[in-house]
Amino acid sequence: MLRVINSGIETLVEDWPGRLGYLGKGMATAGAMDNVALRFANLLVGNPPGEAGLEVAGGYFEAEFGVDAVISVTGTDMKPAINNEAVPMWESIKISKGDILKLSHFGEFSFRAYIGVAGGIDVPFYLGSKSTCLFGSYGGFEGRKLQRGDVLPFGRSSKELDSLAGRKLKKEVIPEYAREWHLRAIPGTNTSPDYVTEEGMDYLFTHAFKILHTSNRSAYRLEEIKDVNFFARKDGGDGGSHPSNIVDHAYAMPGALNICGNTPVLLVLDGPTLGGYMCALSVIKTDLWKIGQGIPGKDFAKFIPSTQEEAVEATQKQGALFCEESLE
Amino acid sequence: MEATINAHMPGLVARVVAIEGEQIAKGQTVAVINCMKNELAVISEYEGKVKQVLVKEWDEMDVGSPMIILDLGEVK
Repeated sequence: MLRVINSGIETLVEDWPGRLGYLGKGMATAGAMDNVALRFANLLVGNPPGEAGLEVAGGYFEAEFGVDAVISVTGTDMKPAINNEAVPMWESIKISKGDILKLSHFGEFSFRAYIGVAGGIDVPFYLGSKSTCLFGSYGGFEGRKLQRGDVLPFGRSSKELDSLAGRKLKKEVIPEYAREWHLRAIPGTNTSPDYVTEEGMDYLFTHAFKILHTSNRSAYRLEEIKDVNFFARKDGGDGGSHPSNIVDHAYAMPGALNICGNTPVLLVLDGPTLGGYMCALSVIKTDLWKIGQGIPGKDFAKFIPSTQEEAVEATQKQGALFCEESLE
Repeated sequence: MEATINAHMPGLVARVVAIEGEQIAKGQTVAVINCMKNELAVISEYEGKVKQVLVKEWDEMDVGSPMIILDLGEVK
């Protein structure tokens, strides 16, 4: 178990792929915003890739371990330290009872760090997942972000802890982080020519959109669309007065790009499952993790045209990374 | 002796709580930053008198942006 000393900006229990099968009841999938970093964190400590770990957004998390353990820290470089001694990222680390893990704030690139623990974080499954849905207040640890004093038990590791320490990822499989995140996306459901002009779609697929501070696990708000003839309609017809309005419909979640007025909003893992705004494109599942590493107010998102065939192939290729062959 | 209180997160200044000339205790909230639609308190690590407030509401902060200068020499 670990006891939280400082919960940081926003630290959550998340697994992958989250809570599937309930979109029709209005329940978001939740899950790790950067599932690649979580899955590598789990691989390093000998867990199944989708096991629950800790997602640290922004930083400043600190905890004391109440048992011997093996952990890993992946994602953004928050300068992790054990008992004030720097420890490497993307490696498994042996922890002794009483050790204190401390993270600083997010690094030059990317925003979220992940802590994997051998055996996983032992919170109850709720509807098939250990993930916290922050905006639904369910799942994870009591349906909320962690607080000082919380005690999180660990599951039983399937391997001996001593055999898990010192495992390293190969350098070539460690994701590259960027200031401008390229997200492959497929047009639709509301696109050219009925809802958006061709010029508008070109704009969506060429412009680098700044990520706004008002982004969170529900949605990533991007800078406004301007200086372009974007909408193909004068108004939203029966859906409303603005051309971004449509009659309420289900969203292709997660990863749909809502157009709310003139603001593109990328709906992510805790996001809504339906609504009355048009969705101009959908980010492919394989690339959605990148937005979770986008630094609000600093980074940019750029959409790259893709196809369903490419999306399927990319998912298979990415899934193959989370195996022992990715370790040194 | 002076100390600067810096932003610990990127975001927009939601409120400035401290005012110039005010005596600040260690652990006191001096400002609030809005990030990820959360209000994050900026806490003083020092005890001292507010010499200068460098920010106002809606100013954009990055990690490390200076927000408030404290005069530590006037601690009573």
